[in-house]
Amino acid sequence: MTGAALLRHCVFAALAAPALLLTVLALPSFLGRPWSEEHVGALTRAAFLTAFLALTAAGFLYAAGVRHPISIRLGDWFASEGGFVFDLLIDGWSLAFAALSVAICGVVSSFSFRYLHREPGFHRYFILLVCFVLGILLVALAGSVETLFAGWEILGLSSALLVAFFHERPVPVDNGLRVLTFYRVGDACMLSAAVLLHHWAGSDSLSLLFSGAGQQLSRLGPDKVAIIAILIVAAAAAKSALLPFSTWLPRAMEGPTPSSAVYYGALSVHAGCFLLLRSSALVQYSLATRFLTAMAGLATACYAALVGRAQTDAKSKLCFASLTQVGIIVVEISLGLDTLAFLHMCGNICLRLLQFLSAPNILHDLHELENDLGGNLEGGHAPPAIFGGALYLFALEKGFLDGLIDRRLAEPLERLAAFMEKFDRWLCRAPLAIFGDGDVR
Amino acid sequence: MCAEKVLWLASLAVPPVAVLTAYTFGLRKRRFYSFAAMCASLLVPISAIPLAAELARATAPRFGVLSIVLIPFAAFLWFLAVIVTPSGRISEAGVARTAAACLLEMAAFAAVAPVPLTLAWIATSAILLAGHLDAEFAGAKRIIFAYLGLSVVLLTAGLIIASWARGRNAVLEQCGIALILLAVMIRKGIFPFHSWIPEIFEHGRIGPAARFNAPQIGTYAALVLAVPYADAGLMKVFAALALVTAVYGSLMAFYQNEARKACGYLFVSQSALVVAGLDIPGRGALVGALILWICSGVALAGLSRAVLSLEARRGRLRLDIHHGGYERMPLLAVCFLLMSLAVANFPGTLGFIGGEMLVRGAVDFFPSLGFFAIIATAVNGLAAIRMYFSLFCGKKDDGTHLKTSRAENLGFAAAALFLIGFGLAPGGLAKVFSRAETAATRIEGISTR
Repeated sequence: MTGAALLRHCVFAALAAPALLLTVLALPSFLGRPWSEEHVGALTRAAFLTAFLALTAAGFLYAAGVRHPISIRLGDWFASEGGFVFDLLIDGWSLAFAALSVAICGVVSSFSFRYLHREPGFHRYFILLVCFVLGILLVALAGSVETLFAGWEILGLSSALLVAFFHERPVPVDNGLRVLTFYRVGDACMLSAAVLLHHWAGSDSLSLLFSGAGQQLSRLGPDKVAIIAILIVAAAAAKSALLPFSTWLPRAMEGPTPSSAVYYGALSVHAGCFLLLRSSALVQYSLATRFLTAMAGLATACYAALVGRAQTDAKSKLCFASLTQVGIIVVEISLGLDTLAFLHMCGNICLRLLQFLSAPNILHDLHELENDLGGNLEGGHAPPAIFGGALYLFALEKGFLDGLIDRRLAEPLERLAAFMEKFDRWLCRAPLAIFGDGDVR
Repeated sequence: MCAEKVLWLASLAVPPVAVLTAYTFGLRKRRFYSFAAMCASLLVPISAIPLAAELARATAPRFGVLSIVLIPFAAFLWFLAVIVTPSGRISEAGVARTAAACLLEMAAFAAVAPVPLTLAWIATSAILLAGHLDAEFAGAKRIIFAYLGLSVVLLTAGLIIASWARGRNAVLEQCGIALILLAVMIRKGIFPFHSWIPEIFEHGRIGPAARFNAPQIGTYAALVLAVPYADAGLMKVFAALALVTAVYGSLMAFYQNEARKACGYLFVSQSALVVAGLDIPGRGALVGALILWICSGVALAGLSRAVLSLEARRGRLRLDIHHGGYERMPLLAVCFLLMSLAVANFPGTLGFIGGEMLVRGAVDFFPSLGFFAIIATAVNGLAAIRMYFSLFCGKKDDGTHLKTSRAENLGFAAAALFLIGFGLAPGGLAKVFSRAETAATRIEGISTR
């Protein structure tokens, strides 16, 4: 068996393990006979370990022998009418990101067994976490638009449902819907890019976007490439909470701490960066898209650095710290520093994961530190002196972005919907006038 | 070949026989028999799907190849209604009406001739009207009478004019087709004739309204009577109106504070998407629309029935508050979520395949308006998931009245599994639709324009 064939088997095993785990966990829960917590733990550990080992082996095989991007066709979803193909595109970055993702999720799942012990939503949490793993693997390894889009949507939904995890309280539920709304905007941009790629290039293969095939891109023409690139940047911006989509990020902190760690500290918030990194050929194709991407990244980094300084809770501070680095990573991508951006991304993922997971112990850690130092630590509570009153208020209110979106977008749409409802009622009654009665009640 | 032919005919015959058999049992027993009959009326046609395209043409009497999917689809919707509707919300007269409507729909779906289709159109409209004869539904009755009465008149006039003018006067024939399309627009709620559907959901009876809208006889009538003969320009206007309606319906569904009305607008939006797909040239969009037809029919019927089940326990449901109760009915909540995801065209559900194919086709045909399909899909998903959050999340409610019955669990689980099962393995369904006789007729029709 050749190295490439072995690599295919490894990648297939890495995808099959979480898919199988999802089925094994979800079906009994659906039928009202969920596994015990111990069994969930054992099954999850086994599946994540299998996926991680398979991806590590695939990485070694790739580095040792293959060394060039390969496309793997796992099969047709269905064949008729230009049906959907299930393609994967394997290269060093995709394998590294996939392996890192599975490792991170493995760590988080181990942490979660104790953190969520006897929590009513224990099984729901693990089903959603496995959905997330499947989604991120599909995003990392996608070779066709359908595969990428499927992974992208699974990521978004599992994220929104985990934000609304404590669904007895209305605030997490409302925030979950808000997060999902932003994700749907990103999904619509992603789907539009995919459809346009299919429409103009007649292909669903992501190698056109990902492998930097300059000649293939130039055949499309600069305008079309720019439109697809802008849509991809918008999709990535929604997923990575870049400006102007940043307002969902602090709202997403309502979920359990382990899910905040894996989604908003570590992987999900970097999924947009990974997409930009993979499609860097497209982003760097024209000066306009490079500039746009750089500005989005720079503005986000400045905004998040400023807002993060004024936050009063640990999770919000951490999420804005993570977002600051995400902005810088996006700038690096726009400058063509792909390797630096990838290393920066991996480093930020690991650091934020550690910080988020240790956030519940922050007081305990602080007291230990003070004991070791032999006295109280000073400072850290007052806002920094560089903040004037207006700037501080701006940072504390997260740039008033929520209010701006509500006032300029949500409320006018709501008013329009109320007006249209009245119009519909009138329209419905109009034919009844023929019968001399417009009352429908 | 003979055995295959028997299987093909059996797959067409089993669903109506199953409906009739289940109907003859009493209400208490009917649920059990209905579930068994539902399985039979799905499994036999599924086993015959690989043969559908080859055998449809050779069979006498002649059936449309879509019948192999649409007849069990109509039966499934009836079984879903019988199994999951709470006892307090179902009467013998109601069951009789819906059984009659279901048999008429099956007859319509088996037909490729205009007369039986028109008769089924009229009879199903009359059955919806009969469900609203009580004094408390007087307003809804007037709306149904006005709108569906007008649609019947337009359909009949259009058919007479089109059939008389065919081969004699092309302009007059197109006028007839335009009248048929107007009738379809009214029945399916395409802008500006959309407003009656949400009103019926709000002021009428949600069960019959869902039962009337989910099978989408109007879509089938458009596919058989109008689409193969209509002028390209006419179809373009019709498709554009349908795409506008899809976005409009989805936005209105998202902003509704009444669960019933949100269901109504979701029906408007989804059926407009289906109509748009049928009107767009290219087999991809057509197959996508046909898949979406089945998906949205099952998903929206399921969502409406779930709203009815919840209303039986809690009264009228508003969407601007959180009702809670997930703990007492987790299976219903999960099924509701899965059906919402199908409406959102989420990967792994049947809607994903249909939606993607339709969107591609829409963008190919209408580079600018085609994106309306993407917006409609995105907002529909939000509207449906907002309903889930509102109806099942919120404060803990341990009231025993919230516990769902075994029949409800079975019915909703069957609907959810249907959407997931065909979403993961859509090959057979797509194959039947892509070889649909009507589709072929239509493609040929377009290529000769």
